[in-house]
Amino acid sequence: MKRLLPFIFVLVLLGVWEAAAHSGLWSKLLFPSLTSIAYEFARFLATPEQLHEAWVSLYRALGGFALAAAVGIFVGVLMGRSKLAAGLLDPLFSGTYAVPKLALFPVFIFVFGIGSLSKVALVFLECLYPIVIMSYHGARSVNRVLLWSAQNMGASRGETLRRVVIPATAPFIFAGFRVAVPVAMIVVVITEMVSSADGLGYLVIYSLSSLRTDRMLAVVVAIALLGYLLDKAVVLARDRLIYWEKLDTYYV
Amino acid sequence: MGLARAGFFLSLLALWQLLAWRGLPAYVLSPLEIIRDFVEALGSAELYEHAAASLARSLPGFAIGTFFGALLGLAAGTARWFDRLFSPAVFVSYPVPKIVMLPMFMLWFGIGDLSKVLIIALACFYPVFINAYYGVKATPAILVWSALNMGAGRGAIFRRVVLPSAAPMIFAGMRVSLALSFIVMFAAEMINARSGLGHLIRVAENSLRFDLMYVSLLAVAILGYAGDRLVRFAQRRLLAWHEQPA
Repeated sequence: MKRLLPFIFVLVLLGVWEAAAHSGLWSKLLFPSLTSIAYEFARFLATPEQLHEAWVSLYRALGGFALAAAVGIFVGVLMGRSKLAAGLLDPLFSGTYAVPKLALFPVFIFVFGIGSLSKVALVFLECLYPIVIMSYHGARSVNRVLLWSAQNMGASRGETLRRVVIPATAPFIFAGFRVAVPVAMIVVVITEMVSSADGLGYLVIYSLSSLRTDRMLAVVVAIALLGYLLDKAVVLARDRLIYWEKLDTYYV
Repeated sequence: MGLARAGFFLSLLALWQLLAWRGLPAYVLSPLEIIRDFVEALGSAELYEHAAASLARSLPGFAIGTFFGALLGLAAGTARWFDRLFSPAVFVSYPVPKIVMLPMFMLWFGIGDLSKVLIIALACFYPVFINAYYGVKATPAILVWSALNMGAGRGAIFRRVVLPSAAPMIFAGMRVSLALSFIVMFAAEMINARSGLGHLIRVAENSLRFDLMYVSLLAVAILGYAGDRLVRFAQRRLLAWHEQPA
């Protein structure tokens, strides 16, 4: 019974949905039945063109994320280890942190064009914040004793950075990654919904315009699955790379 | 330090302004032009109407999402059966971008404000729920034991020990939610709305009114920044005992 409890809630939700779909009270448009969604999802997986749309969204998300990771770790660690860099850049990041960067999208369309580049640039910008802030936080709070011992044993600045600072910051960097990955998915899907001719966000809008809500929900399932798998991938990579410190969260 | 900081920002702005004088493309305005346009827009009613329409969507959404997030998060952190029942569904759906449900919400609740408020509430729910949940879980057991030892009941322990201990985490979640509420509001308005700052920026984009584009951008930025300051101010007042991260 106890093991079944987590499934009960989801099953009840799905059951209510299916009952609403079959009750005939609402149009099929409002509550398409689970079987039709499942059918559309299978069709989605079986159609190469549709999978291509998923791939388009994925590479936009991953491209922006990878850029943000490279720049963000560099900037964050630099801010953590240099008072000057922190003094100059911290107000910039904390001041604009709460500002929705999405508002820049129309400007980005003019600057980078309407294709992938404007979307990747926006993903980069939105992912940059959590990664910079977390790695800054991590690099700042490296245990001083470790730094002293490294210096005492004659480690150069480069060695200290590579062997002490980076490993000590790594858990924070991954915490930043875990925030950034869903953000990347959100931004990609939103920008594709707003203005695009490809990608999963576009498929959502397209299926809605053709009044195929079952098809639309199948795409939503695909987006959900992608978001979930990317998050799992980050957790997996974290556990492999940071084997010395277990993630102490209840659900991972 | 303060001087170096101010000099850094002023030189960034000056560089931008110089580049603009050298001749930037029409879609990049100079800082002076943006400020001039913004001051001009402050004089007309249009900007206020759209900003008010945006706030009328984001604030109720934020309030609803935060309320239920904190309530259910505290419940899931405290009651084990509720945790088992409810939390897995939340944690599994957490990395899913909630905005994709907007079209469905528009079909269910109409294309008016209700669907937008509810999608913002849904997006705001998650960070607060998760933070409240972990905030409760992170309550030092020794505090609970001492309270028990001194004869506190379950209600008193929750009110006097668990809640204050989780409160800083809940506020951290609220800060994330607030930023998220502006993002989702803006996205929803860009996708489908007849008013609001997201709508305004779309109109500006389509009619190549770059001045209007930057004005709405600046307005969103100011609202987001002001909201964040407000949450931090409330946190400082309410949680005066808790050490603040800078």
